[in-house]
Amino acid sequence: MNAAQTGIENLDLEKLNDKDKTELRQFLANEQQRSQIQAQTHNLTQICWKKCVTGNIKGSKLDKGEEGCLANCVDRFLDINFLTMKHLNNMRS
Amino acid sequence: MDSSSVKQSVMKQVLAEANLANARVLIEKLQENCFEKCVPKPGSSLSSSEQTCMTSCMEKYMAAWNQVNAAYINRIRQEQGNN
Repeated sequence: MNAAQTGIENLDLEKLNDKDKTELRQFLANEQQRSQIQAQTHNLTQICWKKCVTGNIKGSKLDKGEEGCLANCVDRFLDINFLTMKHLNNMRS
Repeated sequence: MDSSSVKQSVMKQVLAEANLANARVLIEKLQENCFEKCVPKPGSSLSSSEQTCMTSCMEKYMAAWNQVNAAYINRIRQEQGNN
């Protein structure tokens, strides 16, 4: 049976016992976190792509320099993120 | 359907929809960024070099996504360890 075709609205959620309800809640919490991380990854990839992949596209693989640049770009962007929060906090007091 | 199969069905559908939504955003961003890179001055038709650029760029953008995702998750783990 194909779950994607059944649709959640057609499922009898009343049938879930407590154990399965708890498991499902945990699963949904994990999925929510995963999708937040993915959303932020989309955002970061676009920002860092513009900074790190500056030449013409010659091949389908990242070169070593681009790979390192992307990793640094993510780390520095998050540094800025934390720094901004810290500074905003200081401005408040 | 018993409790376990209801649970399985919900999980399966949530997973399928989440993955589809993620793929949609990836394709949208990939198109936007690779169009920018590979077709700087749109001509009257898509040249073969533009097409080659586009296929390479697609793979490269996905590689970049994976690289960024790994670096991001790494950083999250680090920050959690510091707290």
